[in-house]
Amino acid sequence: MSRARLPISSMLMAPPLLAILAFGLAPLIVVVVWSFWSWDPVTYWIKPDLSLAGYAGILEAGRWTVIVSTLIKAFGTALLCLLIAYPTSYAIHFLAGRRLNVILMALITIPFFTSYLIRSFSWRLVLGRTGIINEWLQGIGIIDAPLDWLLFSNFAVIVGLVASYLPFAIFPLLLSMRRVDPTFLAAAQDLGAGFWKSLTTILLPLTKSGIFAGFLFVFVMVVGSSTEVQMLGGAGASIVSVMINDVMRVANYPMAFAISTIVLVVIFGLVLVGNRIFGLASLFEDQSP
Amino acid sequence: MMLREGLANRILLWAITIAGLLVIYAPPLYLLAISFNPALQPGLPNISELSLKWYASLPQETALIGALEQSLIIATATAVLATLMSLLAALAYFELRSRRTAWLLTVILPMFVPGVIQGLALSAVFARTGIKASMLTVIAGHLLWAMPFAFIVILTSFAAVRRSYLVAAADLGADWWHRFFDIILPLIRPGLISAFIFSFLLSLNEFTRAFYLAGRQNTLPVVLFGKMNSGASPVIYAMSGAIFLISVLCVALIALRFLWQGRAGNSARSSG
Repeated sequence: MSRARLPISSMLMAPPLLAILAFGLAPLIVVVVWSFWSWDPVTYWIKPDLSLAGYAGILEAGRWTVIVSTLIKAFGTALLCLLIAYPTSYAIHFLAGRRLNVILMALITIPFFTSYLIRSFSWRLVLGRTGIINEWLQGIGIIDAPLDWLLFSNFAVIVGLVASYLPFAIFPLLLSMRRVDPTFLAAAQDLGAGFWKSLTTILLPLTKSGIFAGFLFVFVMVVGSSTEVQMLGGAGASIVSVMINDVMRVANYPMAFAISTIVLVVIFGLVLVGNRIFGLASLFEDQSP
Repeated sequence: MMLREGLANRILLWAITIAGLLVIYAPPLYLLAISFNPALQPGLPNISELSLKWYASLPQETALIGALEQSLIIATATAVLATLMSLLAALAYFELRSRRTAWLLTVILPMFVPGVIQGLALSAVFARTGIKASMLTVIAGHLLWAMPFAFIVILTSFAAVRRSYLVAAADLGADWWHRFFDIILPLIRPGLISAFIFSFLLSLNEFTRAFYLAGRQNTLPVVLFGKMNSGASPVIYAMSGAIFLISVLCVALIALRFLWQGRAGNSARSSG
Protein backbone atom coordinates (compact mmCIF):
# COMPACT_ATOMS: atom_id res chain seq x y z
CA MET A 1 0.00 0.00 0.00
CA SER A 2 2.68 2.50 0.95
CA ARG A 3 4.70 1.60 -2.14
CA ALA A 4 1.66 2.17 -4.38
CA ARG A 5 0.91 5.46 -2.65
CA LEU A 6 4.26 7.07 -3.39
CA PRO A 7 4.01 6.99 -7.20
CA ILE A 8 0.52 8.49 -7.01
CA SER A 9 1.53 11.50 -4.94
CA SER A 10 4.73 11.95 -6.94
CA MET A 11 2.85 11.88 -10.22
CA LEU A 12 0.32 14.35 -8.85
CA MET A 13 3.02 16.67 -7.59
CA ALA A 14 5.04 16.73 -10.80
CA PRO A 15 3.05 19.20 -12.97
CA PRO A 16 2.42 21.89 -10.32
CA LEU A 17 5.94 21.47 -8.96
CA LEU A 18 7.36 21.87 -12.45
CA ALA A 19 5.31 25.03 -12.98
CA ILE A 20 6.44 26.47 -9.65
CA LEU A 21 10.08 25.63 -10.32
CA ALA A 22 10.13 26.80 -13.93
CA PHE A 23 8.14 30.01 -13.59
CA GLY A 24 8.73 30.79 -9.92
CA LEU A 25 11.87 29.48 -8.31
CA ALA A 26 14.26 29.27 -11.26
CA PRO A 27 13.78 32.88 -12.40
CA LEU A 28 14.26 34.12 -8.83
CA ILE A 29 17.49 32.14 -8.42
CA VAL A 30 18.70 33.47 -11.75
CA VAL A 31 17.89 37.01 -10.62
CA VAL A 32 19.88 36.55 -7.42
CA VAL A 33 22.86 35.23 -9.38
CA TRP A 34 22.59 37.97 -11.96
CA SER A 35 22.55 40.62 -9.26
CA PHE A 36 26.25 39.85 -8.76
CA TRP A 37 27.16 40.19 -12.43
CA SER A 38 28.57 43.24 -14.17
CA TRP A 39 26.86 45.58 -16.54
CA ASP A 40 28.18 45.29 -20.10
CA PRO A 41 27.59 48.49 -22.11
CA VAL A 42 28.63 46.72 -25.31
CA THR A 43 25.83 44.17 -25.33
CA TYR A 44 23.47 46.28 -23.23
CA TRP A 45 23.14 43.33 -20.86
CA ILE A 46 25.20 41.79 -18.09
CA LYS A 47 28.26 39.55 -18.17
CA PRO A 48 29.48 36.95 -15.67
CA ASP A 49 32.14 39.06 -13.98
CA LEU A 50 31.62 39.11 -10.24
CA SER A 51 30.62 42.58 -9.14
CA LEU A 52 28.86 44.32 -6.29
CA ALA A 53 28.10 47.39 -8.40
CA GLY A 54 24.38 46.69 -8.25
CA TYR A 55 24.44 46.61 -4.46
CA ALA A 56 26.80 49.57 -4.20
CA GLY A 57 24.44 51.58 -6.36
CA ILE A 58 21.70 51.05 -3.81
CA LEU A 59 23.76 52.89 -1.21
CA GLU A 60 23.97 56.07 -3.27
CA ALA A 61 21.38 58.63 -4.36
CA GLY A 62 19.07 57.70 -1.51
CA ARG A 63 17.90 54.40 -2.94
CA TRP A 64 18.35 52.58 0.32
CA THR A 65 16.04 55.10 1.99
CA VAL A 66 13.30 54.04 -0.42
CA ILE A 67 13.76 50.43 0.68
CA VAL A 68 13.67 51.42 4.34
CA SER A 69 10.64 53.66 3.90
CA THR A 70 8.90 50.90 1.97
CA LEU A 71 9.46 48.46 4.82
CA ILE A 72 8.21 51.05 7.31
CA LYS A 73 5.14 51.71 5.16
CA ALA A 74 4.51 47.99 4.93
CA PHE A 75 4.91 47.53 8.67
CA GLY A 76 2.59 50.44 9.49
CA THR A 77 -0.05 49.40 6.99
CA ALA A 78 0.03 45.81 8.25
CA LEU A 79 -0.49 46.98 11.83
CA LEU A 80 -3.35 49.27 10.81
CA CYS A 81 -4.98 46.47 8.85
CA LEU A 82 -4.70 44.10 11.82
CA LEU A 83 -6.30 46.65 14.13
CA ILE A 84 -9.32 46.80 11.83
CA ALA A 85 -9.24 43.16 10.76
CA TYR A 86 -9.23 41.54 14.20
CA PRO A 87 -12.50 43.09 15.45
CA THR A 88 -14.01 42.56 12.01
CA SER A 89 -13.09 38.88 12.00
CA TYR A 90 -14.39 38.50 15.55
CA ALA A 91 -17.73 40.08 14.61
CA ILE A 92 -18.07 37.97 11.47
CA HIS A 93 -17.25 34.69 13.16
CA PHE A 94 -18.61 35.02 16.70
CA LEU A 95 -21.35 37.65 16.54
CA ALA A 96 -23.01 37.14 13.16
CA GLY A 97 -25.76 34.61 12.59
CA ARG A 98 -25.36 32.10 9.79
CA ARG A 99 -26.95 34.09 6.98
CA LEU A 100 -25.19 37.32 7.91
CA ASN A 101 -21.97 35.36 8.27
CA VAL A 102 -22.15 34.15 4.67
CA ILE A 103 -23.03 37.61 3.40
CA LEU A 104 -20.10 39.14 5.26
CA MET A 105 -17.80 36.36 4.06
CA ALA A 106 -18.81 37.18 0.51
CA LEU A 107 -18.21 40.88 1.12
CA ILE A 108 -14.72 40.10 2.45
CA THR A 109 -13.97 37.74 -0.44
CA ILE A 110 -15.04 40.05 -3.26
CA PRO A 111 -12.14 42.53 -2.95
CA PHE A 112 -9.56 39.79 -3.55
CA PHE A 113 -10.91 39.41 -7.04
CA THR A 114 -11.60 42.99 -8.00
CA SER A 115 -8.95 45.27 -9.36
CA TYR A 116 -6.67 47.08 -6.95
CA LEU A 117 -6.00 49.43 -9.85
CA ILE A 118 -9.66 50.42 -9.96
CA ARG A 119 -9.77 50.72 -6.20
CA SER A 120 -6.75 53.05 -6.12
CA PHE A 121 -8.25 55.09 -8.93
CA SER A 122 -11.55 55.42 -7.08
CA TRP A 123 -9.76 56.65 -3.96
CA ARG A 124 -8.28 59.38 -6.12
CA LEU A 125 -11.81 60.47 -6.99
CA VAL A 126 -12.93 60.35 -3.37
CA LEU A 127 -9.98 62.26 -1.90
CA GLY A 128 -9.49 64.87 -4.65
CA ARG A 129 -10.16 68.61 -4.40
CA THR A 130 -13.52 68.10 -6.08
CA GLY A 131 -14.03 64.72 -4.44
CA ILE A 132 -16.92 63.79 -2.21
CA ILE A 133 -15.05 64.26 1.08
CA ASN A 134 -13.89 67.79 0.32
CA GLU A 135 -17.29 68.73 -1.08
CA TRP A 136 -19.05 67.29 1.95
CA LEU A 137 -16.78 69.08 4.41
CA GLN A 138 -17.25 72.37 2.57
CA GLY A 139 -20.97 71.73 2.32
CA ILE A 140 -21.41 71.49 6.09
CA GLY A 141 -19.12 74.47 6.63
CA ILE A 142 -16.22 72.80 8.40
CA ILE A 143 -13.70 74.01 5.83
CA ASP A 144 -13.68 76.98 3.43
CA ALA A 145 -11.25 75.57 0.87
CA PRO A 146 -10.47 72.00 -0.20
CA LEU A 147 -7.91 70.13 1.89
CA ASP A 148 -4.94 69.49 -0.35
CA TRP A 149 -3.28 67.00 1.95
CA LEU A 150 -6.07 64.50 1.43
CA LEU A 151 -4.70 63.50 -1.98
CA PHE A 152 -1.22 63.05 -3.46
CA SER A 153 0.13 62.63 0.04
CA ASN A 154 1.35 59.98 2.43
CA PHE A 155 -2.11 60.01 3.99
CA ALA A 156 -3.70 59.06 0.67
CA VAL A 157 -1.13 56.33 0.09
CA ILE A 158 -1.73 54.74 3.49
CA VAL A 159 -5.50 54.93 3.04
CA GLY A 160 -5.22 53.35 -0.41
CA LEU A 161 -2.96 50.58 0.88
CA VAL A 162 -5.25 49.77 3.81
CA ALA A 163 -8.27 49.71 1.50
CA SER A 164 -6.51 47.41 -0.95
CA TYR A 165 -5.06 44.91 1.47
CA LEU A 166 -7.44 44.80 4.45
CA PRO A 167 -9.07 41.58 3.15
CA PHE A 168 -5.65 39.91 3.18
CA ALA A 169 -5.55 40.48 6.93
CA ILE A 170 -9.15 39.43 7.58
CA PHE A 171 -9.01 36.12 5.70
CA PRO A 172 -6.30 34.32 7.74
CA LEU A 173 -7.75 35.70 10.97
CA LEU A 174 -11.10 34.15 10.08
CA LEU A 175 -9.39 30.86 9.32
CA SER A 176 -7.65 30.83 12.69
CA MET A 177 -10.79 31.87 14.59
CA ARG A 178 -12.66 28.95 13.07
CA ARG A 179 -10.26 26.67 14.88
CA VAL A 180 -11.00 28.20 18.27
CA ASP A 181 -13.42 25.98 20.14
CA PRO A 182 -16.26 28.37 21.08
CA THR A 183 -16.88 26.39 24.26
CA PHE A 184 -13.58 27.76 25.58
CA LEU A 185 -14.94 31.29 25.35
CA ALA A 186 -18.38 30.31 26.64
CA ALA A 187 -16.75 28.57 29.61
CA ALA A 188 -14.68 31.66 30.33
CA GLN A 189 -17.84 33.77 30.30
CA ASP A 190 -19.59 31.34 32.64
CA LEU A 191 -16.66 31.60 35.01
CA GLY A 192 -17.02 35.36 35.10
CA ALA A 193 -14.26 36.48 32.75
CA GLY A 194 -15.07 39.73 31.00
CA PHE A 195 -14.63 40.41 27.31
CA TRP A 196 -11.10 41.80 27.55
CA LYS A 197 -9.93 39.05 29.88
CA SER A 198 -11.21 36.37 27.49
CA LEU A 199 -9.66 38.23 24.59
CA THR A 200 -6.18 38.56 26.03
CA THR A 201 -5.86 35.19 27.77
CA ILE A 202 -7.73 32.88 25.38
CA LEU A 203 -8.50 34.26 21.97
CA LEU A 204 -5.33 36.19 21.15
CA PRO A 205 -2.99 33.28 21.99
CA LEU A 206 -5.13 30.82 20.07
CA THR A 207 -5.26 33.01 16.97
CA LYS A 208 -1.60 34.03 16.87
CA SER A 209 -1.00 32.11 13.63
CA GLY A 210 -3.82 34.09 12.01
CA ILE A 211 -2.44 37.35 13.34
CA PHE A 212 0.99 36.67 11.94
CA ALA A 213 -0.39 35.41 8.62
CA GLY A 214 -2.52 38.53 8.27
CA PHE A 215 0.46 40.73 9.06
CA LEU A 216 2.66 38.82 6.63
CA PHE A 217 0.17 38.90 3.76
CA VAL A 218 -0.36 42.64 4.06
CA PHE A 219 3.36 43.27 4.55
CA VAL A 220 4.27 41.34 1.40
CA MET A 221 1.52 42.94 -0.66
CA VAL A 222 2.54 46.46 0.38
CA VAL A 223 6.23 45.82 -0.29
CA GLY A 224 5.32 44.68 -3.79
CA SER A 225 2.65 47.31 -4.41
CA SER A 226 3.01 50.11 -6.93
CA THR A 227 -0.38 51.36 -8.05
CA GLU A 228 -1.34 52.92 -4.72
CA VAL A 229 1.80 55.05 -4.71
CA GLN A 230 1.56 55.90 -8.38
CA MET A 231 -2.12 56.80 -8.17
CA LEU A 232 -2.28 58.48 -4.77
CA GLY A 233 1.25 59.52 -3.83
CA GLY A 234 2.89 62.91 -4.22
CA ALA A 235 5.28 63.81 -7.01
CA GLY A 236 8.31 62.48 -5.17
CA ALA A 237 6.64 59.46 -3.61
CA SER A 238 8.30 56.15 -4.23
CA ILE A 239 8.18 52.56 -3.13
CA VAL A 240 10.33 49.58 -4.06
CA SER A 241 8.25 48.67 -7.10
CA VAL A 242 8.30 52.21 -8.44
CA MET A 243 12.05 52.39 -7.84
CA ILE A 244 12.57 49.15 -9.74
CA ASN A 245 10.50 50.56 -12.58
CA ASP A 246 12.68 53.68 -12.61
CA VAL A 247 15.88 51.63 -12.54
CA MET A 248 14.65 49.45 -15.39
CA ARG A 249 13.83 52.52 -17.44
CA VAL A 250 17.58 53.00 -17.86
CA ALA A 251 18.09 49.23 -18.22
CA ASN A 252 20.20 49.03 -15.07
CA TYR A 253 19.67 45.31 -14.67
CA PRO A 254 22.23 44.63 -11.92
CA MET A 255 20.72 47.23 -9.61
CA ALA A 256 17.16 46.10 -10.31
CA PHE A 257 18.20 42.52 -9.56
CA ALA A 258 20.05 43.61 -6.42
CA ILE A 259 17.02 45.48 -5.10
CA SER A 260 14.85 42.47 -5.88
CA THR A 261 17.25 40.17 -4.06
CA ILE A 262 17.23 42.30 -0.91
CA VAL A 263 13.44 42.43 -0.89
CA LEU A 264 13.16 38.68 -1.46
CA VAL A 265 15.56 37.95 1.40
CA VAL A 266 13.48 40.09 3.75
CA ILE A 267 10.19 38.51 2.69
CA PHE A 268 11.28 34.88 2.61
CA GLY A 269 13.07 35.41 5.90
CA LEU A 270 9.80 36.58 7.38
CA VAL A 271 7.92 33.62 5.90
CA LEU A 272 10.35 31.03 7.22
CA VAL A 273 10.70 32.60 10.65
CA GLY A 274 6.95 33.06 10.84
CA ASN A 275 6.24 29.49 9.94
CA ARG A 276 8.73 28.28 12.53
CA ILE A 277 7.36 30.46 15.33
CA PHE A 278 3.68 30.85 14.51
CA GLY A 279 2.89 27.76 12.46
CA LEU A 280 1.79 29.70 9.40
CA ALA A 281 1.13 26.53 7.42
CA SER A 282 -1.19 25.18 10.11
CA LEU A 283 -3.78 27.74 9.05
CA PHE A 284 -4.35 25.96 5.78
CA GLU A 285 -3.58 22.39 6.71
CA ASP A 286 -6.06 19.63 6.24
CA GLN A 287 -8.45 19.04 9.11
CA SER A 288 -10.53 16.31 7.53
CA PRO A 289 -10.73 13.00 9.41
CA MET B 1 -21.83 29.85 17.25
CA MET B 2 -22.88 33.28 18.43
CA LEU B 3 -21.20 34.46 21.60
CA ARG B 4 -22.97 36.57 24.17
CA GLU B 5 -21.31 39.96 24.38
CA GLY B 6 -22.04 43.14 26.27
CA LEU B 7 -23.90 45.71 24.23
CA ALA B 8 -21.07 48.26 24.30
CA ASN B 9 -18.52 45.71 23.09
CA ARG B 10 -20.87 44.49 20.40
CA ILE B 11 -21.47 48.01 19.14
CA LEU B 12 -17.73 48.68 19.09
CA LEU B 13 -17.00 45.48 17.19
CA TRP B 14 -19.70 46.07 14.60
CA ALA B 15 -18.69 49.74 14.23
CA ILE B 16 -15.13 48.73 13.36
CA THR B 17 -16.44 46.07 11.00
CA ILE B 18 -18.65 48.57 9.20
CA ALA B 19 -15.77 51.05 9.05
CA GLY B 20 -13.58 48.38 7.46
CA LEU B 21 -16.23 47.52 4.89
CA LEU B 22 -16.74 51.22 4.14
CA VAL B 23 -13.02 51.69 3.52
CA ILE B 24 -13.09 48.78 1.09
CA TYR B 25 -16.36 49.46 -0.72
CA ALA B 26 -17.15 53.18 -0.59
CA PRO B 27 -14.65 54.34 -3.24
CA PRO B 28 -15.45 51.69 -5.89
CA LEU B 29 -19.17 52.30 -5.37
CA TYR B 30 -18.56 56.05 -5.67
CA LEU B 31 -16.73 55.43 -8.94
CA LEU B 32 -19.60 53.23 -10.07
CA ALA B 33 -22.06 56.04 -9.32
CA ILE B 34 -19.91 58.53 -11.21
CA SER B 35 -19.94 56.26 -14.25
CA PHE B 36 -23.68 56.96 -14.61
CA ASN B 37 -23.15 60.72 -14.73
CA PRO B 38 -23.36 61.99 -18.34
CA ALA B 39 -21.27 65.09 -17.55
CA LEU B 40 -17.61 65.23 -18.51
CA GLN B 41 -16.48 66.18 -15.01
CA PRO B 42 -16.64 63.40 -12.41
CA GLY B 43 -19.28 63.88 -9.76
CA LEU B 44 -22.35 62.23 -8.32
CA PRO B 45 -25.28 62.41 -10.74
CA ASN B 46 -28.75 63.55 -9.73
CA ILE B 47 -31.38 60.84 -9.98
CA SER B 48 -32.94 62.57 -12.97
CA GLU B 49 -29.58 62.69 -14.72
CA LEU B 50 -28.76 58.99 -14.57
CA SER B 51 -27.41 57.90 -17.93
CA LEU B 52 -25.79 54.92 -19.62
CA LYS B 53 -24.04 57.28 -22.01
CA TRP B 54 -20.50 56.19 -21.20
CA TYR B 55 -21.41 52.52 -21.13
CA ALA B 56 -23.05 52.84 -24.54
CA SER B 57 -19.88 54.35 -25.99
CA LEU B 58 -17.66 51.53 -24.69
CA PRO B 59 -17.92 49.40 -27.85
CA GLN B 60 -16.39 52.23 -29.87
CA GLU B 61 -13.29 52.35 -27.66
CA THR B 62 -11.24 50.02 -29.83
CA ALA B 63 -8.11 50.14 -27.65
CA LEU B 64 -10.08 49.23 -24.53
CA ILE B 65 -12.10 46.50 -26.26
CA GLY B 66 -8.98 45.03 -27.83
CA ALA B 67 -7.27 44.99 -24.46
CA LEU B 68 -10.36 43.42 -22.90
CA GLU B 69 -10.27 40.62 -25.47
CA GLN B 70 -6.62 39.97 -24.66
CA SER B 71 -7.38 39.94 -20.96
CA LEU B 72 -10.32 37.56 -21.37
CA ILE B 73 -8.24 35.08 -23.36
CA ILE B 74 -5.38 35.24 -20.89
CA ALA B 75 -7.76 34.98 -17.92
CA THR B 76 -9.49 31.91 -19.36
CA ALA B 77 -6.21 30.14 -20.06
CA THR B 78 -4.89 31.08 -16.62
CA ALA B 79 -8.06 29.80 -14.95
CA VAL B 80 -7.93 26.45 -16.74
CA LEU B 81 -4.26 25.87 -16.00
CA ALA B 82 -4.44 27.15 -12.43
CA THR B 83 -7.44 24.98 -11.61
CA LEU B 84 -5.85 21.86 -13.11
CA MET B 85 -2.50 22.45 -11.45
CA SER B 86 -4.11 23.24 -8.11
CA LEU B 87 -6.30 20.15 -8.31
CA LEU B 88 -3.20 18.02 -8.81
CA ALA B 89 -1.43 19.84 -5.99
CA ALA B 90 -4.39 19.37 -3.65
CA LEU B 91 -4.67 15.68 -4.56
CA ALA B 92 -0.96 15.26 -3.92
CA TYR B 93 -1.38 16.96 -0.55
CA PHE B 94 -4.27 14.64 0.24
CA GLU B 95 -2.21 11.56 -0.69
CA LEU B 96 0.95 12.63 1.11
CA ARG B 97 1.54 11.36 4.62
CA SER B 98 4.82 13.03 5.45
CA ARG B 99 6.22 16.36 4.25
CA ARG B 100 2.72 17.77 3.83
CA THR B 101 3.70 21.08 5.36
CA ALA B 102 6.68 21.41 3.03
CA TRP B 103 4.46 20.75 0.02
CA LEU B 104 1.83 23.22 1.19
CA LEU B 105 4.42 25.95 1.71
CA THR B 106 5.94 25.20 -1.69
CA VAL B 107 2.62 25.73 -3.43
CA ILE B 108 1.67 28.94 -1.63
CA LEU B 109 5.15 30.52 -1.66
CA PRO B 110 4.62 32.21 -5.06
CA MET B 111 1.95 34.24 -3.28
CA PHE B 112 4.71 35.93 -1.30
CA VAL B 113 6.78 37.08 -4.27
CA PRO B 114 5.95 40.70 -5.07
CA GLY B 115 4.43 41.05 -8.51
CA VAL B 116 7.04 43.51 -9.73
CA ILE B 117 9.88 41.14 -8.82
CA GLN B 118 8.17 38.11 -10.30
CA GLY B 119 7.36 40.03 -13.48
CA LEU B 120 10.90 41.37 -13.73
CA ALA B 121 12.50 37.98 -13.08
CA LEU B 122 10.33 36.13 -15.56
CA SER B 123 10.68 38.77 -18.29
CA ALA B 124 14.47 38.86 -17.86
CA VAL B 125 14.74 35.08 -18.07
CA PHE B 126 12.37 34.89 -21.03
CA ALA B 127 14.28 37.61 -22.86
CA ARG B 128 17.61 35.92 -22.15
CA THR B 129 16.40 32.55 -23.42
CA GLY B 130 14.97 34.12 -26.56
CA ILE B 131 11.31 33.70 -25.66
CA LYS B 132 9.42 36.68 -27.02
CA ALA B 133 6.86 38.47 -24.89
CA SER B 134 3.36 37.30 -25.78
CA MET B 135 0.14 36.08 -24.25
CA LEU B 136 1.99 32.95 -23.17
CA THR B 137 4.48 34.88 -21.06
CA VAL B 138 1.65 36.80 -19.39
CA ILE B 139 -0.19 33.53 -18.71
CA ALA B 140 2.95 32.14 -17.05
CA GLY B 141 3.09 35.09 -14.66
CA HIS B 142 -0.63 35.05 -13.92
CA LEU B 143 -0.60 31.28 -13.39
CA LEU B 144 1.87 31.62 -10.56
CA TRP B 145 -0.22 34.38 -9.00
CA ALA B 146 -3.51 32.48 -9.23
CA MET B 147 -2.33 28.98 -8.29
CA PRO B 148 -1.90 29.53 -4.52
CA PHE B 149 -5.42 30.94 -4.21
CA ALA B 150 -6.96 28.17 -6.29
CA PHE B 151 -5.01 25.60 -4.26
CA ILE B 152 -6.32 26.96 -0.96
CA VAL B 153 -9.90 27.00 -2.26
CA ILE B 154 -9.72 23.42 -3.53
CA LEU B 155 -7.96 22.24 -0.39
CA THR B 156 -10.76 23.74 1.68
CA SER B 157 -13.33 21.81 -0.33
CA PHE B 158 -11.46 18.59 0.46
CA ALA B 159 -12.98 18.85 3.92
CA ALA B 160 -16.01 17.16 2.34
CA VAL B 161 -13.94 14.10 1.39
CA ARG B 162 -13.90 11.61 4.24
CA ARG B 163 -11.21 8.99 4.16
CA SER B 164 -13.72 6.41 5.33
CA TYR B 165 -15.53 6.79 1.99
CA LEU B 166 -12.30 6.04 0.14
CA VAL B 167 -11.33 3.15 2.39
CA ALA B 168 -14.75 1.56 1.90
CA ALA B 169 -14.50 1.99 -1.86
CA ALA B 170 -11.02 0.47 -1.89
CA ASP B 171 -12.28 -2.50 0.14
CA LEU B 172 -14.95 -2.99 -2.50
CA GLY B 173 -12.33 -3.16 -5.22
CA ALA B 174 -12.28 0.38 -6.62
CA ASP B 175 -8.88 1.48 -7.90
CA TRP B 176 -7.48 5.00 -7.52
CA TRP B 177 -9.08 6.31 -10.71
CA HIS B 178 -12.53 5.09 -9.80
CA ARG B 179 -12.21 6.57 -6.31
CA PHE B 180 -11.15 9.87 -7.85
CA PHE B 181 -13.89 10.14 -10.47
CA ASP B 182 -16.75 8.64 -8.46
CA ILE B 183 -16.07 10.02 -4.99
CA ILE B 184 -13.51 12.80 -4.81
CA LEU B 185 -14.44 14.73 -7.93
CA PRO B 186 -18.18 15.11 -7.15
CA LEU B 187 -17.44 16.15 -3.60
CA ILE B 188 -14.92 18.84 -4.49
CA ARG B 189 -16.72 20.15 -7.57
CA PRO B 190 -17.88 23.35 -5.80
CA GLY B 191 -14.25 24.02 -4.91
CA LEU B 192 -13.16 23.50 -8.50
CA ILE B 193 -15.80 25.91 -9.80
CA SER B 194 -14.82 28.51 -7.23
CA ALA B 195 -11.12 28.01 -7.99
CA PHE B 196 -11.77 28.52 -11.70
CA ILE B 197 -13.77 31.71 -11.22
CA PHE B 198 -11.34 33.11 -8.68
CA SER B 199 -8.35 32.39 -10.94
CA PHE B 200 -10.15 34.03 -13.84
CA LEU B 201 -10.84 37.18 -11.83
CA LEU B 202 -7.33 37.34 -10.38
CA SER B 203 -5.87 37.19 -13.87
CA LEU B 204 -8.39 39.61 -15.35
CA ASN B 205 -7.54 42.23 -12.74
CA GLU B 206 -3.79 41.63 -12.47
CA PHE B 207 -1.70 44.63 -13.49
CA THR B 208 1.84 44.46 -12.13
CA ARG B 209 2.95 41.14 -13.58
CA ALA B 210 1.35 41.85 -16.95
CA PHE B 211 3.11 45.22 -17.08
CA TYR B 212 6.47 43.44 -17.34
CA LEU B 213 5.45 40.33 -19.24
CA ALA B 214 3.24 41.73 -21.99
CA GLY B 215 4.78 42.50 -25.34
CA ARG B 216 2.89 44.32 -28.06
CA GLN B 217 -0.34 43.02 -26.57
CA ASN B 218 -1.80 44.99 -23.72
CA THR B 219 -4.04 43.59 -21.06
CA LEU B 220 -6.96 45.69 -19.92
CA PRO B 221 -5.42 46.78 -16.58
CA VAL B 222 -2.29 47.99 -18.38
CA VAL B 223 -4.34 50.09 -20.81
CA LEU B 224 -6.58 51.36 -18.01
CA PHE B 225 -3.53 52.37 -15.99
CA GLY B 226 -2.22 54.45 -18.87
CA LYS B 227 -5.56 56.16 -19.39
CA MET B 228 -6.08 56.76 -15.67
CA ASN B 229 -2.82 58.69 -15.53
CA SER B 230 -3.39 60.82 -18.60
CA GLY B 231 -6.48 62.85 -17.77
CA ALA B 232 -9.10 60.15 -17.85
CA SER B 233 -12.09 60.42 -20.12
CA PRO B 234 -15.37 59.36 -18.50
CA VAL B 235 -15.27 56.10 -20.45
CA ILE B 236 -12.69 54.92 -17.92
CA TYR B 237 -15.32 55.11 -15.21
CA ALA B 238 -17.71 52.96 -17.24
CA MET B 239 -15.09 50.32 -18.03
CA SER B 240 -13.90 50.29 -14.42
CA GLY B 241 -17.49 50.11 -13.21
CA ALA B 242 -18.27 47.25 -15.58
CA ILE B 243 -15.23 45.23 -14.50
CA PHE B 244 -16.03 45.87 -10.85
CA LEU B 245 -19.65 44.81 -11.28
CA ILE B 246 -18.74 41.63 -13.15
CA SER B 247 -16.21 40.66 -10.49
CA VAL B 248 -18.70 41.33 -7.71
CA LEU B 249 -21.43 39.33 -9.45
CA CYS B 250 -19.16 36.32 -9.95
CA VAL B 251 -18.22 36.12 -6.28
CA ALA B 252 -21.78 36.88 -5.19
CA LEU B 253 -23.06 33.94 -7.26
CA ILE B 254 -20.58 31.64 -5.55
CA ALA B 255 -21.70 32.92 -2.16
CA LEU B 256 -25.37 32.39 -3.06
CA ARG B 257 -24.59 28.87 -4.18
CA PHE B 258 -22.85 28.30 -0.87
CA LEU B 259 -25.91 29.59 1.01
CA TRP B 260 -28.23 27.35 -1.00
CA GLN B 261 -25.95 24.35 -0.61
CA GLY B 262 -25.80 24.94 3.13
CA ARG B 263 -29.59 24.95 3.36
CA ALA B 264 -29.89 21.80 1.25
CA GLY B 265 -27.26 20.15 3.42
CA ASN B 266 -29.18 21.03 6.55
CA SER B 267 -32.46 19.62 5.24
CA ALA B 268 -30.73 16.42 4.12
CA ARG B 269 -29.11 16.06 7.50
CA SER B 270 -32.37 16.63 9.39
CA SER B 271 -34.25 14.11 7.26
CA GLY B 272 -31.52 11.48 7.75
